[in-house]
This record gives sequence, C-alpha cells and structure tokens, in this order.
Amino acid sequence: MGKNHQNLLNNLEELRKSAGLTQQDLSESAEVSRKSINAIENGIYVPSTVLALKIAKTLKCKVEDIFKLPK
Amino acid sequence: MTFFKRFLIVFVCGIVQVFFAGYSALILFGFDINWHINNYLFMFIPGILIFVSSGILTASYYLGDKKTNNILYDEYTAIRYYKIAAAGYAINGIGIFILFSIQDWASWSFQNANNMIYQIAAFAWLTFGVLLTIFSIGDYKEHKNG
Repeated sequence: MGKNHQNLLNNLEELRKSAGLTQQDLSESAEVSRKSINAIENGIYVPSTVLALKIAKTLKCKVEDIFKLPK
Repeated sequence: MTFFKRFLIVFVCGIVQVFFAGYSALILFGFDINWHINNYLFMFIPGILIFVSSGILTASYYLGDKKTNNILYDEYTAIRYYKIAAAGYAINGIGIFILFSIQDWASWSFQNANNMIYQIAAFAWLTFGVLLTIFSIGDYKEHKNG
C-alpha cells in the first residue's frame, strides 16, 4: 500500500504501473483529470464509488484490490 | 474551455476583488492616495465580473465538449471548489458578525450605515478575492506540474 489517506488505504500506483499505464492513460479511461489520479495515489483524495469502479474496470481488477479500509 | 482559460477567468475575478477591497479599505482608514474612483458605477465591476464569469463557466460546463469537461470539472476539482466556498462563507460570516458588533449603534447615522456597507463589501471582496486568486494559481500549477 502506497501513500495513504487516513480513511482509505490504496494500492493504485502499484496496480497502475503493473498494468503498464501512465496517470494520463488511466485518467482518460476513467474520465477524470490526471491530478485526480495523482491525488488518489498520494492519499490526498478519496474517490467516489463511481470513480473507484471506473478505475477498477480500467485496471481489470476488483475495487477491493485497489482500496482497503484501515484496520 | 481549457485549464488556462479557467485560470485566467478565476484569477482576474479574484485580483479585481482584491483591488477593490484594498481601495475601499484605504478610504475607510482615511488614507489619501490622491486617486479616486469618481463614478460609483465602477463599484459594480467586481459583481458584474463574477456574474459574467460564472455564466461563462456554467455555459462551458453544460455546452462544452464532454471529454474536456470530464477533466476540467471532475469530482476532485468540484470538492476543492466546495471547500473554497465553505471557507469563504465561514470567514465572511465571522467577519460580518464582528463588523456588526463594532458599529456605534447608539449614535447611528446614514454616514455610519454607508461606512458599514463599505466595510462589509471590502471584507467580502478581500476574502473571496484572496481565495479565488490562490485557488486559480494552485489549480493551474497542479494541472501543469502534478
């Protein structure tokens, strides 16, 4: 898990890189700005359910693989 | 609409408000700068700018290219706008409460009322002007650099 928000752990950067995508590629596919993807990866911003699902769809994985609640 | 155009629109709105706030504050505090806005209609400029700019941004949101708008008006940007607005309203609320409290209500006059209107206008312009200016610069910098 990378840099995390206090309410949500995320694994986005690792999964994005292993899918061979840049932040720009992912942002275009998820229909948001690149800085949104950057903010999520750095734990600055918690995405909406719709955006989380779009990201998961692009990365061909489950939302739970990307985001986890802190214990 | 592009990030640069949005930066320009919001920045101009903010900086004009800061200018009018500074001008009003100088008059209120009795500093003579040997330069005066002679026509009172000029005092509507910040309001008209906000009205026109909001119109342009709203029109671009509803009528602009969908792919561009997904990037320009995404949820992260929206949340930051909400935060800016919430901070502005909170600061204004406190400021106006203080401005009301410090008035000389015992010997109230039209001159006092006029001054209070200028104080409130200057405070509101300063608050939102500074917030808009900072936001516009930060938003554009983030778009360029990360």
